Formats: sequence, structure tokens, C-alpha cells
Amino acid sequence: MAAQRQASSASQTPHLSPAELSYLYTSLSLPKTPIRPDGRSTTQFRPLTAESNILPGTNGSARIGFADGTQAVVGVKAEVEKTTVAADTLDARGLFQQQESPAAAAGDREAQEGLGSAAVSGHGSWVQMSIEIPGFRDDDALPVFLSEMLRESLVGAVSGSGGEDMAGGLKGRLVINKRWHWRLYIDVLLLSQPLSYPLPLLSLTTHLALLSTKLPKLKSQGEEDPLFDDDWAAAQYLYPRSAPGSTAPVTTSQQVRPPVTLLVISVADNVIFDPTREEIAVADAVLAISVARDGGHDGLKLLSIRTIDPPSRLTQPGVPNSENVNMLANATSVDDSAAGGATAVNLATGDEEVSGVWRPRRGGAKRSVLARMVKTVLRKGGVGEEVLEGLEGVEVE
Amino acid sequence: MAITILPPVAEDLGPYQADSDESIGMDSDSDSDVEMTGSTRPHKRPRLHSKNIGTGIITPGEVVTDDPQWMRGHGTYTNPLSTSIIATVAGTVHKTNKLLSVHPIRARYTPEIGDLVVGRIVEVQSRRWKVDVAAPLLAQLPLSAINLPGGILRRRTSADELQIRTFFSEGDLVVAEVQSVHQDGSASLHTRSLKYGKLRNGVFLAVTGTGGSGTPNSSVKGGVGSGSSGAGAALGATTGTGGVVRSRRQVWTVSTANGGGDVNVILGVNGYIWISKHADGAAVASSTTENVSIIRMEEMVSSSIYSSQNDDIPPQTRREIARLAQCIQVLVQSGVPVDEHSVTSAYEASLQVDLEVGDDEDDEDEWRQEGREYLEGTKAQRVLELAMQDK
Repeated sequence: MAAQRQASSASQTPHLSPAELSYLYTSLSLPKTPIRPDGRSTTQFRPLTAESNILPGTNGSARIGFADGTQAVVGVKAEVEKTTVAADTLDARGLFQQQESPAAAAGDREAQEGLGSAAVSGHGSWVQMSIEIPGFRDDDALPVFLSEMLRESLVGAVSGSGGEDMAGGLKGRLVINKRWHWRLYIDVLLLSQPLSYPLPLLSLTTHLALLSTKLPKLKSQGEEDPLFDDDWAAAQYLYPRSAPGSTAPVTTSQQVRPPVTLLVISVADNVIFDPTREEIAVADAVLAISVARDGGHDGLKLLSIRTIDPPSRLTQPGVPNSENVNMLANATSVDDSAAGGATAVNLATGDEEVSGVWRPRRGGAKRSVLARMVKTVLRKGGVGEEVLEGLEGVEVE
Repeated sequence: MAITILPPVAEDLGPYQADSDESIGMDSDSDSDVEMTGSTRPHKRPRLHSKNIGTGIITPGEVVTDDPQWMRGHGTYTNPLSTSIIATVAGTVHKTNKLLSVHPIRARYTPEIGDLVVGRIVEVQSRRWKVDVAAPLLAQLPLSAINLPGGILRRRTSADELQIRTFFSEGDLVVAEVQSVHQDGSASLHTRSLKYGKLRNGVFLAVTGTGGSGTPNSSVKGGVGSGSSGAGAALGATTGTGGVVRSRRQVWTVSTANGGGDVNVILGVNGYIWISKHADGAAVASSTTENVSIIRMEEMVSSSIYSSQNDDIPPQTRREIARLAQCIQVLVQSGVPVDEHSVTSAYEASLQVDLEVGDDEDDEDEWRQEGREYLEGTKAQRVLELAMQDK
């Protein structure tokens, strides 16, 4: 039970002693200039290594290694599938007509309309995501939650007025014609034990894999059965990229890009990016913020914010010296009056915070802090843009 | 620059890798036909006879040699029916005269009597604690091996057994000494000294590498732990792969720059490191109670062993503690053994690098600025150069 609870919480937090937690929390909560254990600035990421197109059997793939040694590999495979809406609904209608059930027929009509529009604008279920984390079963809470969180922002990213290629976002891009569509399988494999909450690693790797994903060029036209060009060199990127040779490259702000999900924590009034495992362990609030570039307007679009249960709530509280039995016993033997004083302080302090003593965090985060976390990601030239630019720069040959 | 993305680096595997494909193919059938060893495959391991020995990495199960002239050392085993020496760990081949041994790249810590270790309590039992000291087995710390508060010569009572968690509970960090090593390689610890006890006022650092089994020079280690049999003992005695090494002084105080005051560094032989604010014994005592006689001082100090309340630590000290931690990380990442000398010279080098960088960094956009105190990025190489220069 305890293990289960930890797994669904922000990470397999290490057992940290109350003294360590208190030291970390105070260092990170210093106003304006928090001191991180590794000396980074609040918005600085640890260096990571990345490469894409590493798996020959996939449409697109990527590998990212974080500085703490965790690595993830993502492979994207695409498959042509018949959009079964029309056939299914026809069959179903035949059945329902035999049964003469008006309620079912009404429901069916609704479904048909819904799915009919799906044939044009795409459907979220065409993107399938599976995450494998060592030590977890497929149906454990963590992989299921993570994959749904990543998939949701992926299919939810609908472009406003991007290029005609990307109308309807990723879902729209998967439509071939009214009867056929692409189905994407995104397989995420974490190669190492999840040392800290693996979400940012998996999200960045998925982003990179999707950037390198190519679909074969379509030769057929209109509503014909799809026929593809055999020449892999002619294949087109799922997310259109500016060709290296072209004289007029598309400006980055106009391109549609898959979303990235960043993990942001707050400690007191400070907002901290790319937290290490220890930093997550003392966080007041842990947010997973998904952003994408949708091409419609300059800047980034916020897709989702999810709060993640901060593990600091489960930590063990420290014992202040005034309540420490060992020190009290000693004080009694030294000086009775001192011991009496100590117990009085103990009664008086009750539940209050004693400086230098760790108390598990309680309650939520302040609204202003949450707003600042989102703003830091979204602002022009902010962290979100830098991360996207950095990933854009990874060589895709 | 918020994010740095580097291209993947191919490991430099050396010339040995060139013939690995061929050797894997040969190894696949080596189990079945034992009689084929020797003359029928004379060119199987040419590298042993060439200069390439010890340059590459070999993996467990790989045949190091089938030449009968070699004796097997640590990290290897021989099949009784054949003469081939097979590696049991991943690492580099070393030969001493006619003795072949494989030194692992990474190994867990092998406890030896008298080692100063930093450990984390993982389990509380009725009369003892189980402590993680990065060894293959958990070490134990019996209740009878700690200093009880209220004077050193106090008897252990059943009340102490009942309130065992008030001394150390799960997650607490302790600094202790290895009192004895059992037959199975697990250690018994003790904290019967004022130097030892619960840790507070600082940061913890677990260092990768050989976890303390490295030796400062390339001399072969001859200790208690190396006498035991099997692969466990072979995990010791690795040279040149970073990590904390056994040295004369594992605990010392650095007087830091930039108004940081004194900072204690505890290098556990097991690779666990604790860097904390230096607590003056007298100051601790006087902060607890005012009127303490000199004779009682020792008692007071010993009582604060079990405190989990941090003192007030100024930001300057925290900065210098973070700097020291990074210096050690830089050393470990580049495979330099961590001891008092290398840490102090790296610390001084980092201060000098800061002077060189100076104030020409523009602070106009504080969002994009790399952490001023961040050493592991571009500054790492410079710090390392300066630190090594001192040697």
C-alpha cells in the first residue's frame, strides 16, 4: 500500500532525513536567490544528450539521456487504417432497425454524426501511446496516468490558423481521406529506473521522436484508396519542418510543433524548473505544464496544467529540540529549571513552525505563485520557447 | 541559456573492440566443445599476447584467455574442465606477473574494520537499526553500540529499547565506524565517539564510482575484506575510476571563502558524503542551556547528537556548501579520486575560476542567465585543470 502510494505520488522519493529536508527547503525558499544543491539557476535545466532517428524500423524515433543517468527511447510507428465509421454505423443501423428501438436509433444517429465529423477532423483514439517503466506493470497507475497525460496534450493540440497542412492539429494531419486515416503508435520505453518523476524525460523524448517522424508521400488523390510513394526519401515529415536548403525558411513562430510537458515546482515563493529528485521531495506544489506552438499566433499555447501530488506531504516531520526526549532527559539531569522551561516552550509552541525543523507541507500553493509558474513557461523568450528551440536544434538526418 | 542539449558521445572503447564481433561468435560454442581449447584456436585471443591487454572493457562471461599459463585472480573464474579464464565482472583486465584479474568499472562498497562510513537508516528493529551503507548487504547498528544521552557511562535500559526511534528513525543519516565485518560481508557499525552520530545542518551526496573500494595509488589493496572468497571480494581494489578513496583523513574542516565560515566535510569510505556547517562544540552547548560548566560540556555535545533541528545557517554558508558539493561532483564525473587534497584543490580552483569569469557576465536578463554558481557545465573543465595543476 505504501509503495503504491509512493508510486502514484511525484516520485519514488528517497527517504530523506528531516534535517536534510529542512536544509533543502530553507535553501530553496531563500527569497529571490534560491540556492539549489547543484548551483543551477531556477530556470536552468541539467544538460541532456539527445539524438533522433535511431531505430530503423520506425517512422520516427529518439533517445534522450538526462544528466542523472535516466534514459528514454521513443519509437513512433504509423499504420494506414480504414476509417470504419461509415461501415460500422451502417451495420449497426441495420441491426437497430430490426430491433425497432427508437432510443437506440437516436443514440446511433448522434454517434454517427459525431464519427462522421471525426472522419474529417480526426479522432483522438488514432494516437495510441504506451509507456513502459521498469518495475511497473502496464496497468499500474503511474504508466497509465503518464501516457494519458502525454496523449491528451498531443491530441488536444488543435491548431488555430496554422498552415493548411496542420489544420486540426495532429488529429487532422492523420486524416488521409474520408475513408482512410493514419494510426500512430507511440511506444515509450524508459531504459532506467525512474530516479525522479519521469514525465519531463518522456515528454521531451516523445516530442523529439514526433519531430523526426516521417510519413510516406501519398500518390493517390481524393477519395481513392491510398497509394504511397515507395521512395522513402520523398517521405514527408509529420510535423512540417523548414527544409535546410530552402531559401525562405518558415519562421519558427509559424510552425506547428508537438507539445512538451514541463515539470515545475514551487518552494515558498520560488519557481524552480527541472527539479531533481531531492528538490521534488520538498516542493510545495508540483505542476506538469503542457505547452505547444500551434502556429496560429506568435508564442506558445498553454494546453494543460496538472497538479501532481507533492511527496513532501508524506515525509516524516522533524523533532524540535524542545520536544526531543533525549535532549530533555539530558536537560533534566543538568538543570531542573531548564527542563521545566523547555516543556513550557513545548506546550506554547504546539503545532507551529520552528525554524530548522522540517514539517511536512500542508495546504495548497498560492495563486500568485501558480500564475508565475505558468507565466515563466509561456512568456516570450521564456523557458518553454527555449526548450522547444533546443529540441528543434537536434540533428535529424 | 535554460537548456543545454548535447549530441550523444560514443564511448571510446579502444582497439580491443575491433575483434569483439569475431570473439563473440567464437564464444558461443565454447561451452560445448571443451577439447577444442588451445591449439585448435590459437588466434582466438591475440590481444592477450599483444600490448592491448587491459585497454578494453570485458563483460561477465567473456573468455579472457584459454592459455593455461595464466592464473586466475579476482573477478574471474575457471571451469574445472577447461583452462579458460572467464570474467565474472564487467571491467578491465589487469595482469600481475602471471596472475590475471578483472577490475570492475563499478562496484559496491566492501566494508572493512575501522572504515568511517556515512549511512542511512532504512529499518528500525527491536534492538538495532539496519543501515544502508552502499554495501551489498545492509549494515547493522546495535542499540548497544551507540552513545546514550546523559553521559557515556549510562546503562542501557529497557526504556531505551522502547524509545529506539527517538535516537535514529527511518531516513536519518548517521556517521559511524565499521566495528566488525561478518562472515557474509555485512558490517556492524558503532557510534561510540563524539565524532559520530546523527547528521544535520548540511547536504548529502552519494558519489558513484567504486564506492570507496578504490585505492589512492595503484598498489594492490591487502585488507581484511579482500581475504574473503568469491566475486564479492573481487569488487575491491579498483584504481583510477574516481570515487572516495581510503585516506588518512576522512573528516576535515574547510574554512570557506565569501564569508561562508567553516564547513565540515565527511567523506564516508562507502562513497556517501556529508557536507555541513561546522558546529562549534561550545556554541552548541551554550545554545541549549546557558549555564553549563566545562565538565558538563561533553555531555551537552553528546546530547545534541540526536537532534534533528538544524541550526540557523546563513545563505553564504549554504552557497559554499553547494560549491563544495559541486566540486566533488566534478571530480567524480572525470574519474579523479576524491580525498582531502583533491577536494580542497578543486574548491580553490573553483574560486579562482569565479575570479577569472569576474563580473563581465551581463545580468540584463536574469531569466536566461546560467546559474552563477553552476560549476558542472562550462566551468567544469577549467576547475579540473586548475585542480590537477596543483598536484
